[in-house]
Amino acid sequence: MTIGNPRHLDHIADFLRTQRNEDVSLSDVVALAEITATSLQTFFENMDVAIYRELREIAEYIQAMKIEIGALGVNEIRDRRIPAAGEELGAIIKATENATNTIMGCAEAVMSAAADDVEAFKALVEEKMLVIFEACSFQDITGQRIAKVVATLEHIEMRVARFAAALHAKDLGGYLSEVEQARAERRRRLLLHGPAREGEGIGQTDVDRLLR
Amino acid sequence: MAVDMSMPILVVDDYNTMIRIIRNLLKQLGFEDIDDACDGSAALNKMREKKYALVISDWNMEPMTGYELLKEVRADPSLAKTPFIMVTAESKTENVIAAKKAGVSNYIVKPFNAQTLKTKIEAVFAD
Repeated sequence: MTIGNPRHLDHIADFLRTQRNEDVSLSDVVALAEITATSLQTFFENMDVAIYRELREIAEYIQAMKIEIGALGVNEIRDRRIPAAGEELGAIIKATENATNTIMGCAEAVMSAAADDVEAFKALVEEKMLVIFEACSFQDITGQRIAKVVATLEHIEMRVARFAAALHAKDLGGYLSEVEQARAERRRRLLLHGPAREGEGIGQTDVDRLLR
Repeated sequence: MAVDMSMPILVVDDYNTMIRIIRNLLKQLGFEDIDDACDGSAALNKMREKKYALVISDWNMEPMTGYELLKEVRADPSLAKTPFIMVTAESKTENVIAAKKAGVSNYIVKPFNAQTLKTKIEAVFAD
Protein backbone atom coordinates (compact mmCIF):
# COMPACT_ATOMS: atom_id res chain seq x y z
CA MET A 1 0.00 0.00 0.00
CA THR A 2 1.35 3.50 -0.91
CA ILE A 3 1.04 6.37 1.54
CA GLY A 4 -1.21 9.00 -0.03
CA ASN A 5 -2.08 9.76 -3.58
CA PRO A 6 0.95 10.86 -5.72
CA ARG A 7 -1.17 13.74 -7.04
CA HIS A 8 -1.61 15.11 -3.52
CA LEU A 9 2.06 14.66 -2.75
CA ASP A 10 2.79 16.73 -5.85
CA HIS A 11 0.52 19.45 -4.47
CA ILE A 12 2.47 19.50 -1.19
CA ALA A 13 5.79 19.61 -3.07
CA ASP A 14 4.59 22.46 -5.31
CA PHE A 15 3.27 24.36 -2.31
CA LEU A 16 6.58 24.03 -0.42
CA ARG A 17 8.56 24.94 -3.54
CA THR A 18 6.61 28.17 -4.15
CA GLN A 19 6.56 29.17 -0.46
CA ARG A 20 10.24 28.35 0.27
CA ASN A 21 11.64 31.95 0.32
CA GLU A 22 8.73 33.68 1.97
CA ASP A 23 7.47 33.90 5.54
CA VAL A 24 4.95 31.20 6.38
CA SER A 25 1.58 32.65 7.26
CA LEU A 26 -1.26 30.99 9.20
CA SER A 27 -3.19 30.56 5.96
CA ASP A 28 -0.16 28.78 4.48
CA VAL A 29 -0.14 26.38 7.43
CA VAL A 30 -3.90 25.80 7.05
CA ALA A 31 -3.48 25.24 3.32
CA LEU A 32 -0.67 22.73 3.97
CA ALA A 33 -2.78 21.04 6.59
CA GLU A 34 -5.66 20.76 4.11
CA ILE A 35 -3.43 19.22 1.47
CA THR A 36 -1.91 16.81 4.04
CA ALA A 37 -5.34 15.87 5.35
CA THR A 38 -6.55 15.13 1.82
CA SER A 39 -3.49 12.93 1.22
CA LEU A 40 -3.97 11.06 4.50
CA GLN A 41 -7.65 10.55 3.77
CA THR A 42 -6.73 8.76 0.59
CA PHE A 43 -4.17 6.70 2.57
CA PHE A 44 -6.76 5.69 5.16
CA GLU A 45 -9.30 4.89 2.45
CA ASN A 46 -6.76 2.61 0.77
CA MET A 47 -5.86 1.03 4.12
CA ASP A 48 -9.53 0.34 4.92
CA VAL A 49 -9.96 -1.44 1.59
CA ALA A 50 -6.83 -3.55 2.15
CA ILE A 51 -7.80 -4.49 5.71
CA TYR A 52 -11.34 -5.28 4.59
CA ARG A 53 -9.98 -7.50 1.82
CA GLU A 54 -7.70 -9.34 4.27
CA LEU A 55 -10.47 -9.77 6.84
CA ARG A 56 -12.78 -11.07 4.12
CA GLU A 57 -10.13 -13.59 3.05
CA ILE A 58 -9.70 -14.71 6.68
CA ALA A 59 -13.49 -15.05 7.03
CA GLU A 60 -13.65 -17.09 3.82
CA TYR A 61 -10.81 -19.32 5.06
CA ILE A 62 -12.56 -19.84 8.41
CA GLN A 63 -15.80 -20.65 6.57
CA ALA A 64 -13.99 -23.15 4.33
CA MET A 65 -12.30 -24.67 7.38
CA LYS A 66 -15.69 -25.04 9.11
CA ILE A 67 -16.99 -26.88 6.04
CA GLU A 68 -13.93 -29.18 6.05
CA ILE A 69 -14.29 -29.86 9.78
CA GLY A 70 -17.97 -30.65 9.19
CA ALA A 71 -17.05 -32.96 6.32
CA LEU A 72 -14.60 -34.75 8.60
CA GLY A 73 -17.59 -36.00 10.59
CA VAL A 74 -15.69 -36.22 13.87
CA ASN A 75 -18.82 -36.70 15.96
CA GLU A 76 -20.02 -39.57 13.79
CA ILE A 77 -16.54 -41.14 13.86
CA ARG A 78 -16.27 -40.75 17.65
CA ASP A 79 -19.86 -41.66 18.56
CA ARG A 80 -20.68 -44.37 16.04
CA ARG A 81 -17.90 -45.68 13.83
CA ILE A 82 -15.08 -46.14 16.37
CA PRO A 83 -17.33 -47.72 19.06
CA ALA A 84 -18.81 -50.03 16.40
CA ALA A 85 -15.32 -51.04 15.24
CA GLY A 86 -14.36 -51.68 18.88
CA GLU A 87 -17.42 -53.90 19.31
CA GLU A 88 -16.53 -55.83 16.16
CA LEU A 89 -12.98 -56.40 17.41
CA GLY A 90 -14.30 -57.49 20.80
CA ALA A 91 -16.63 -59.95 19.08
CA ILE A 92 -13.72 -61.27 17.00
CA ILE A 93 -11.65 -61.90 20.14
CA LYS A 94 -14.61 -63.62 21.78
CA ALA A 95 -15.34 -65.79 18.72
CA THR A 96 -11.74 -66.90 18.29
CA GLU A 97 -11.47 -67.61 22.01
CA ASN A 98 -14.68 -69.66 22.00
CA ALA A 99 -13.60 -71.60 18.92
CA THR A 100 -10.16 -72.28 20.38
CA ASN A 101 -11.66 -73.48 23.64
CA THR A 102 -14.11 -75.73 21.80
CA ILE A 103 -11.39 -77.22 19.58
CA MET A 104 -9.00 -77.72 22.50
CA GLY A 105 -11.78 -79.24 24.58
CA CYS A 106 -12.39 -81.78 21.79
CA ALA A 107 -8.70 -82.55 21.49
CA GLU A 108 -8.37 -82.98 25.26
CA ALA A 109 -11.44 -85.28 25.32
CA VAL A 110 -9.97 -87.48 22.59
CA MET A 111 -6.52 -87.55 24.17
CA SER A 112 -7.84 -88.49 27.59
CA ALA A 113 -10.33 -91.10 26.31
CA ALA A 114 -9.67 -94.77 26.91
CA ALA A 115 -8.98 -96.56 23.63
CA ASP A 116 -9.60 -100.10 24.87
CA ASP A 117 -13.22 -100.02 23.63
CA VAL A 118 -12.47 -99.40 19.96
CA GLU A 119 -16.06 -98.77 18.88
CA ALA A 120 -16.76 -96.31 21.68
CA PHE A 121 -13.45 -94.55 21.02
CA LYS A 122 -14.22 -94.32 17.28
CA ALA A 123 -17.67 -92.85 18.00
CA LEU A 124 -16.14 -90.29 20.38
CA VAL A 125 -13.51 -89.26 17.82
CA GLU A 126 -16.16 -88.85 15.09
CA GLU A 127 -18.37 -86.79 17.40
CA LYS A 128 -15.52 -84.51 18.43
CA MET A 129 -14.33 -84.10 14.84
CA LEU A 130 -17.77 -82.80 13.87
CA VAL A 131 -17.69 -80.33 16.76
CA ILE A 132 -14.25 -79.17 15.57
CA PHE A 133 -15.56 -78.64 12.02
CA GLU A 134 -18.47 -76.59 13.40
CA ALA A 135 -16.16 -74.54 15.59
CA CYS A 136 -14.01 -73.68 12.58
CA SER A 137 -16.94 -71.77 11.07
CA PHE A 138 -15.85 -68.82 13.24
CA GLN A 139 -13.37 -68.01 10.46
CA ASP A 140 -16.14 -66.91 8.08
CA ILE A 141 -17.88 -64.66 10.60
CA THR A 142 -14.67 -63.10 11.93
CA GLY A 143 -13.59 -62.46 8.33
CA GLN A 144 -16.77 -60.45 7.76
CA ARG A 145 -16.30 -58.58 11.03
CA ILE A 146 -12.70 -57.73 10.13
CA ALA A 147 -13.89 -56.42 6.75
CA LYS A 148 -16.22 -54.00 8.59
CA VAL A 149 -13.38 -52.76 10.79
CA VAL A 150 -11.17 -52.29 7.72
CA ALA A 151 -13.99 -50.29 6.06
CA THR A 152 -14.16 -48.02 9.13
CA LEU A 153 -10.40 -47.45 9.02
CA GLU A 154 -10.61 -46.62 5.31
CA HIS A 155 -13.49 -44.19 5.99
CA ILE A 156 -11.43 -42.37 8.63
CA GLU A 157 -8.32 -42.44 6.46
CA MET A 158 -10.13 -40.83 3.50
CA ARG A 159 -11.65 -38.06 5.59
CA VAL A 160 -8.44 -37.26 7.42
CA ALA A 161 -6.59 -37.18 4.08
CA ARG A 162 -9.17 -34.76 2.60
CA PHE A 163 -9.00 -32.57 5.73
CA ALA A 164 -5.19 -32.50 5.73
CA ALA A 165 -5.10 -31.62 2.03
CA ALA A 166 -7.72 -28.85 2.37
CA LEU A 167 -5.86 -27.22 5.26
CA HIS A 168 -2.37 -27.90 3.90
CA ALA A 169 -1.78 -29.41 7.34
CA LYS A 170 1.76 -30.17 8.41
CA ASP A 171 2.62 -32.62 11.18
CA LEU A 172 4.10 -31.08 14.29
CA GLY A 173 5.67 -34.43 15.09
CA GLY A 174 6.59 -35.84 18.44
CA TYR A 175 3.25 -35.07 20.09
CA LEU A 176 2.27 -37.77 22.57
CA SER A 177 -0.14 -37.59 25.49
CA GLU A 178 1.20 -38.57 28.92
CA VAL A 179 -0.42 -42.00 28.66
CA GLU A 180 1.05 -42.53 25.19
CA GLN A 181 4.46 -41.39 26.41
CA ALA A 182 4.35 -43.83 29.32
CA ARG A 183 3.33 -46.68 27.00
CA ALA A 184 6.03 -45.81 24.47
CA GLU A 185 8.66 -45.63 27.20
CA ARG A 186 7.59 -49.03 28.58
CA ARG A 187 7.66 -50.58 25.10
CA ARG A 188 11.14 -49.14 24.47
CA ARG A 189 12.57 -50.11 27.87
CA LEU A 190 11.17 -53.65 27.88
CA LEU A 191 11.62 -54.31 24.14
CA LEU A 192 7.91 -54.89 23.59
CA HIS A 193 7.48 -54.98 19.83
CA GLY A 194 4.70 -57.57 19.62
CA PRO A 195 4.39 -60.08 16.80
CA ALA A 196 6.52 -59.13 13.82
CA ARG A 197 4.96 -58.40 10.42
CA GLU A 198 5.74 -60.71 7.56
CA GLY A 199 9.34 -60.23 6.51
CA GLU A 200 10.30 -58.66 9.82
CA GLY A 201 11.74 -60.47 12.79
CA ILE A 202 13.79 -63.66 12.67
CA GLY A 203 12.90 -67.34 12.60
CA GLN A 204 13.75 -70.13 15.04
CA THR A 205 16.89 -71.11 13.11
CA ASP A 206 18.33 -67.59 13.42
CA VAL A 207 17.33 -67.47 17.09
CA ASP A 208 19.20 -70.74 17.69
CA ARG A 209 22.26 -69.31 15.92
CA LEU A 210 22.20 -66.17 18.11
CA LEU A 211 22.01 -68.25 21.27
CA ARG A 212 25.08 -70.37 20.47
CA MET B 1 21.62 -85.25 31.70
CA ALA B 2 18.27 -86.97 31.05
CA VAL B 3 15.08 -85.00 31.39
CA ASP B 4 13.20 -85.84 34.57
CA MET B 5 9.57 -86.24 33.52
CA SER B 6 8.37 -85.71 37.10
CA MET B 7 10.05 -82.32 37.48
CA PRO B 8 7.81 -79.38 38.40
CA ILE B 9 7.37 -76.90 35.57
CA LEU B 10 5.96 -73.37 35.80
CA VAL B 11 4.26 -72.01 32.67
CA VAL B 12 3.87 -68.19 32.64
CA ASP B 13 1.54 -66.53 30.16
CA ASP B 14 -1.21 -63.89 30.40
CA TYR B 15 -3.29 -65.71 27.78
CA ASN B 16 -5.21 -68.68 29.15
CA THR B 17 -5.40 -70.39 25.79
CA MET B 18 -1.61 -70.35 25.49
CA ILE B 19 -1.22 -71.80 28.97
CA ARG B 20 -3.67 -74.55 27.99
CA ILE B 21 -1.76 -75.27 24.75
CA ILE B 22 1.64 -75.47 26.48
CA ARG B 23 0.18 -77.52 29.34
CA ASN B 24 -1.30 -80.04 26.85
CA LEU B 25 1.93 -80.21 24.85
CA LEU B 26 3.92 -80.83 28.04
CA LYS B 27 1.45 -83.51 29.13
CA GLN B 28 1.75 -85.11 25.71
CA LEU B 29 5.52 -85.14 26.16
CA GLY B 30 5.01 -86.94 29.47
CA PHE B 31 5.34 -84.13 32.04
CA GLU B 32 2.76 -84.14 34.81
CA ASP B 33 3.68 -81.56 37.45
CA ILE B 34 2.71 -78.36 35.68
CA ASP B 35 1.67 -75.08 37.33
CA ASP B 36 0.88 -71.76 35.73
CA ALA B 37 1.02 -68.02 36.44
CA CYS B 38 -0.52 -65.10 34.58
CA ASP B 39 2.45 -62.68 34.71
CA GLY B 40 5.99 -62.21 36.00
CA SER B 41 5.11 -61.09 39.51
CA ALA B 42 2.64 -63.96 40.03
CA ALA B 43 5.35 -66.32 38.76
CA LEU B 44 7.92 -64.90 41.20
CA ASN B 45 5.52 -65.47 44.10
CA LYS B 46 4.99 -69.09 43.03
CA MET B 47 8.73 -69.64 42.57
CA ARG B 48 9.36 -68.46 46.12
CA GLU B 49 6.81 -70.93 47.43
CA LYS B 50 7.77 -73.96 45.35
CA LYS B 51 11.03 -74.98 43.74
CA TYR B 52 10.52 -75.38 40.00
CA ALA B 53 12.93 -77.26 37.79
CA LEU B 54 11.95 -75.29 34.70
CA VAL B 55 10.19 -72.02 33.87
CA ILE B 56 8.56 -71.56 30.47
CA SER B 57 7.55 -67.91 30.08
CA ASP B 58 5.99 -65.53 27.62
CA TRP B 59 7.73 -62.14 27.15
CA ASN B 60 4.89 -59.65 26.67
CA MET B 61 2.78 -59.56 29.85
CA GLU B 62 1.51 -56.98 32.30
CA PRO B 63 2.36 -55.77 34.84
CA MET B 64 5.64 -57.73 34.91
CA THR B 65 7.01 -59.00 31.62
CA GLY B 66 8.84 -62.27 31.07
CA TYR B 67 12.02 -60.29 30.42
CA GLU B 68 11.74 -58.61 33.83
CA LEU B 69 10.94 -61.99 35.40
CA LEU B 70 14.07 -63.49 33.85
CA LYS B 71 16.24 -60.68 35.28
CA GLU B 72 14.58 -60.99 38.71
CA VAL B 73 15.14 -64.76 38.71
CA ARG B 74 18.79 -64.43 37.73
CA ALA B 75 19.32 -61.73 40.39
CA ASP B 76 17.88 -63.88 43.18
CA PRO B 77 20.52 -66.34 44.46
CA SER B 78 17.87 -68.87 45.51
CA LEU B 79 16.30 -68.91 42.02
CA ALA B 80 19.23 -67.95 39.80
CA LYS B 81 20.01 -71.44 38.52
CA THR B 82 16.45 -72.28 37.44
CA PRO B 83 16.38 -73.13 33.74
CA PHE B 84 14.31 -70.53 31.89
CA ILE B 85 12.84 -70.89 28.41
CA MET B 86 11.29 -67.85 26.77
CA VAL B 87 8.35 -68.68 24.48
CA THR B 88 7.34 -65.51 22.68
CA ALA B 89 6.16 -63.73 19.55
CA GLU B 90 8.95 -61.19 20.12
CA SER B 91 11.22 -62.16 17.24
CA LYS B 92 13.51 -59.15 16.85
CA THR B 93 17.22 -59.79 17.06
CA GLU B 94 17.57 -57.28 19.91
CA ASN B 95 15.08 -59.28 21.99
CA VAL B 96 17.02 -62.51 21.55
CA ILE B 97 20.31 -60.76 22.37
CA ALA B 98 18.81 -59.05 25.42
CA ALA B 99 17.38 -62.36 26.67
CA LYS B 100 20.74 -64.06 26.12
CA LYS B 101 22.52 -61.32 28.09
CA ALA B 102 19.94 -61.67 30.86
CA GLY B 103 20.71 -65.39 31.06
CA VAL B 104 17.89 -67.14 29.19
CA SER B 105 18.39 -70.89 28.81
CA ASN B 106 16.58 -71.15 25.49
CA TYR B 107 14.26 -69.10 23.29
CA ILE B 108 11.29 -70.31 21.26
CA VAL B 109 9.54 -68.11 18.71
CA LYS B 110 5.73 -68.36 18.48
CA PRO B 111 4.03 -70.05 16.75
CA PHE B 112 5.87 -73.24 17.61
CA ASN B 113 5.16 -76.95 17.57
CA ALA B 114 5.51 -79.81 20.05
CA GLN B 115 8.76 -80.99 18.50
CA THR B 116 10.41 -77.58 18.98
CA LEU B 117 9.31 -77.46 22.61
CA LYS B 118 10.63 -80.98 23.20
CA THR B 119 13.96 -80.23 21.49
CA LYS B 120 14.52 -77.03 23.48
CA ILE B 121 13.68 -78.65 26.82
CA GLU B 122 16.07 -81.51 26.03
CA ALA B 123 18.76 -79.01 24.99
CA VAL B 124 18.42 -77.09 28.28
CA PHE B 125 18.92 -80.23 30.35
CA ALA B 126 21.66 -81.59 28.10
CA ASP B 127 23.85 -78.54 28.81
